[in-house]
Amino acid sequence: MDFKAIRERLTGEAYASNRKARAWDFTKTTALFVGMCLVAVVLMFPYLFMVFKSLMSETEILDPNPHFFPDWTNLQWNNFVLLFTDASSGYSYGLALLHTLIIIAFNVIAIPLSATFIAFSFAKLKWKGRNICFAIMMLTMTLPGVVTQIPLYVIYAKIGWLNTLYPFTIPNLFGGGALYIFLIRQYMFGIPNELSDAAKIDGCGPFRIYWSIILPNCKSILIYIIISVFNSYWGDYYGPLLYMTSTDAPYTFAYALFRSTVEGLASSQWAAVRMAGGVFMTLFPTILFIVFQEKLTDGALTSGIKG
Amino acid sequence: METTTATAKKESSLSKAKEWAKGLFLRKKGAEAIERRPKQPKRKMSRMQKREEIAGWIFCSPLLIGLLLFTFVPMFCSLFWSFYHFDGFTLAPAGLYNFVHAFQDEEVGQSALNTLIYACVNIPLNLVLSYFLALLVNNAHKFTRVFRVLFYLPVVIPAVVSGLLWKDIFDPTFGIFNKILNSIGLPSFPFFQEASTSMFSLILMGCWGIGGGMILWLSAFKNIPKDLYESAKVDGANAFQRFANITIPMSTPIIFFNLVTSVIGSLQYNGTLIFAPRSGRGYDNSLYLYGVKIYWEAMKSGNIGYASALSWLLCIVISILTFILFKTSKWVFYGGE
Repeated sequence: MDFKAIRERLTGEAYASNRKARAWDFTKTTALFVGMCLVAVVLMFPYLFMVFKSLMSETEILDPNPHFFPDWTNLQWNNFVLLFTDASSGYSYGLALLHTLIIIAFNVIAIPLSATFIAFSFAKLKWKGRNICFAIMMLTMTLPGVVTQIPLYVIYAKIGWLNTLYPFTIPNLFGGGALYIFLIRQYMFGIPNELSDAAKIDGCGPFRIYWSIILPNCKSILIYIIISVFNSYWGDYYGPLLYMTSTDAPYTFAYALFRSTVEGLASSQWAAVRMAGGVFMTLFPTILFIVFQEKLTDGALTSGIKG
Repeated sequence: METTTATAKKESSLSKAKEWAKGLFLRKKGAEAIERRPKQPKRKMSRMQKREEIAGWIFCSPLLIGLLLFTFVPMFCSLFWSFYHFDGFTLAPAGLYNFVHAFQDEEVGQSALNTLIYACVNIPLNLVLSYFLALLVNNAHKFTRVFRVLFYLPVVIPAVVSGLLWKDIFDPTFGIFNKILNSIGLPSFPFFQEASTSMFSLILMGCWGIGGGMILWLSAFKNIPKDLYESAKVDGANAFQRFANITIPMSTPIIFFNLVTSVIGSLQYNGTLIFAPRSGRGYDNSLYLYGVKIYWEAMKSGNIGYASALSWLLCIVISILTFILFKTSKWVFYGGE
């Protein structure tokens, strides 16, 4: 763009009067637009399919000749109400949502606090074991999840944590994963040391420096962390699949939907309500992405380049 | 008298010399002291440093406790149990049986092969497709921003919902895909309902996630200084030369990052649990991935010991691959060198 603007300014009217170039620019833009529209149609297809299907009635679902668009005159918004009110689905989605929200509320506070606490020691304090501890933490990042998940299942069974919310909350008091700590550490390196040095001369201890200087300056990385935490626990079906073995366990919303998907047939009358559950689950990550678009892609950037 | 004075003089000069020597000695001592001095302020500073040292350990302690309880203890358990027949209740020594059995188990071979095919096709395909997608939206038109969001939205869909969705779309009788195929005169496609088309369908499904790669590529493009292209243009480099000599080398850190994370990710992938027939294994085990096999052994068959051994084998393979990737990463250009 800049280059074009400069060129335009340099050649002035000569360029503007050059009809051929303008026509070429126009066709190029049109081609680009058409290309993007085509790709958008393909990529958005499942997304729209999901939204449309969630608004279909029972007869439309059971029609052996499936439709993409719902009956516009008879949109079944009621499916979203049924999702939470009708217990006959067998999956109490309302209660499941409550469990999910409890887990998220806990983690959205616990992970940012504990992860910044730990990252502070790596970014702003000088101590002997620092590099070794950091290296050990980074090594655990490449450890496949299954190596710890299965023994944790046995351990949780022994200490009575199966079918409770503890496996999804308590471990996050300890930083919530190497990736978050690593990202916050990288971010803290960018906070100038002058700030904390001045506080040190004024007699502030490390706790004061962490709480009143470093933590308030971490806001923008914390937004990224909070959104990631929300998304990962909002969509977590695998944890409950492992650690919630009995039928009266506090299911999460994602797990209720998982079971409904695994057990139900695509053509059953509950398909539309289930799809409404899917739309409901996709709604919040979508809103979060659109609102915090730039922050989220920036986070991908920092972890991409420095990782 | 003179002699006495002379001797006194001599003595005094001797004592002077002694004093001089003493002074020299003291000066040497002083110099040594000066040499040693840098240590002294260090000792004085050490109280503050000690405080920082203690603070460092305190601030890091949650991590260490968490790693110990939720990573190292389970890791040790897993390693220990992999040498035992263990169903969660009774331990019986097995020696190397679990590891030997893993190489004789046909299901392990099948699932490892499936995982390998999935990773080898999915990773490069996504890398290339997302590159072209990024190229398409790498301009500053007003409407491009909207399209970027649209292209990324399929990635935002949680895994469960995407499983539910694709199960529905690929359904042989009620599915919308077959209806579209039929409407343009093509025969129905079995997707997950036949072993021969299952893997293809899984990889096809993965293509809707290229928005994630697109974001990474875009951030790579953003970091390439524009003047590189300008000077290359002045030097007469054509579009392909600019691509091969500027875009690719400058994007290698992102390619490398993407490669490492997706190798680690796709070898553990077990998302087929949601949508594949036969509880995530597919017909004729055509979608039986290694991650699903571990889950199946541990949770359905109750062979915790065997599952532990399998997960350690996976860990070894991933470590070796990551090591190889880092060792052969000379092609990654970090700039400034």
